[in-house]
Amino acid sequence: MFFIVFFAFDRDKGGAQISEESNRRSAISDIYIGLALLLIIGGIALAYENWIGHALIAIISLLLMGYAITTGAMLKGRLKRKSGNIFKLHRKSGIYFGSFVLGSFIYGLWMRLQHGESLLSSVHGKLGLFILLVVTLQDIPSLIFKNRAKYRGLHRIIGYALAPILVIDAGWGLHNGVTGVTKSLVLLHSISGGLAALVLVWIILEMRYPTYKSLARAKLASYLSAFLITAGCWIVGGYNYLTAYGSQVRPVILAGPHPWAHEVIMEAKEHIFVFLPIIAFALSITLSSLDRNTFQDDAKSRHALMMIACLALFMVLFMFLMGAIISNAGQTGMETLK
Amino acid sequence: MKESSTSIVSAVITIFLTGCIIITHDISKDFRQSLTALTGHHWISVSVIAVILFVLSSGLLLSSKNLRKILRSYDIGLWSTALIDVTVIMILVIFLVLIAHSLAD
Repeated sequence: MFFIVFFAFDRDKGGAQISEESNRRSAISDIYIGLALLLIIGGIALAYENWIGHALIAIISLLLMGYAITTGAMLKGRLKRKSGNIFKLHRKSGIYFGSFVLGSFIYGLWMRLQHGESLLSSVHGKLGLFILLVVTLQDIPSLIFKNRAKYRGLHRIIGYALAPILVIDAGWGLHNGVTGVTKSLVLLHSISGGLAALVLVWIILEMRYPTYKSLARAKLASYLSAFLITAGCWIVGGYNYLTAYGSQVRPVILAGPHPWAHEVIMEAKEHIFVFLPIIAFALSITLSSLDRNTFQDDAKSRHALMMIACLALFMVLFMFLMGAIISNAGQTGMETLK
Repeated sequence: MKESSTSIVSAVITIFLTGCIIITHDISKDFRQSLTALTGHHWISVSVIAVILFVLSSGLLLSSKNLRKILRSYDIGLWSTALIDVTVIMILVIFLVLIAHSLAD
């Protein structure tokens, strides 16, 4: 029951969509697959009680959420539809997404219980519980009501709102897992990075499946990405690097078992990062100078801009990976010094 | 479309020149010290130089039609590929220099 998150999306939108949604029987096989996935996740949690397993499941759920939102936007007409039964793909991704969200929550709960800690003692746990409730709220009406037109708008708003909340919670959890403690500036830095990645995915989707309003939304998304990368990542990260990293973290890493984490990874990260705001601004300025007709008619330009957004996304994820390695080396160094 | 890819050309120029500055700063201690002397910290200097380079190259390109023509700044496909290539090459070279530096120490 929990898994039919996006089941009732835009049923009476158009003839093709009604036809797609009318085929509800095939959902049962997807629910069985979702349950099987949940059992597998439960098994993994019992056998491998580590935050990395929990994080991997959360990352898969993020990817599935992206796919569910993309297909949902296609159903609504926000993104250009691709061939095939979009509703079926949307429902399938929604069910699997629900499985992974629930699996990730159970995994996290199991880990907390193993350490004798309360779930609600951390912000990450509270947010996780909130996400679970929101996903349940998405699911229940779609199972109870035959006519889903009344709550379709709410379903859509909650669906879109879930994306940044899930990214913030994932960033928060990753930060806690890697550093072991909560450092406000580093947390803000990583959450900004996570949101920037989400916004860049949005830009890529608008380029890949363009509709009449795609350019306006892509422009908005590009301004957001430039802001998040500049203010959240560059300035906040830079301030932390200048005030705390050099005096507190760097000596610990150099004295620990992985000094290369500073000598190679941090030295590379601090400088390579400077490329990222430049790319984000170039993308934002280019998009702002485009007109709607050029955007819709010129597939070559859209492809070029999509590739630049992909480059920015790659760099954000690369920074995430390097940041995780550095934070982990800091934690290991601290344990060694003890 | 002619003016729209100007900022991408500027980004390519900025990333190339900033990348060269970063590589030189990793190789030469004197250059690193001069960057530190500029603002008090080498990272701030590199950041400020990158911003100035981006603004200057954008201004230069926007003010010169001939330069845009010579650089084929209307070709967004060409310059987006150049941006990806230059960024990836610079990342790889920076990594190689730092790894070599770390191994040498």
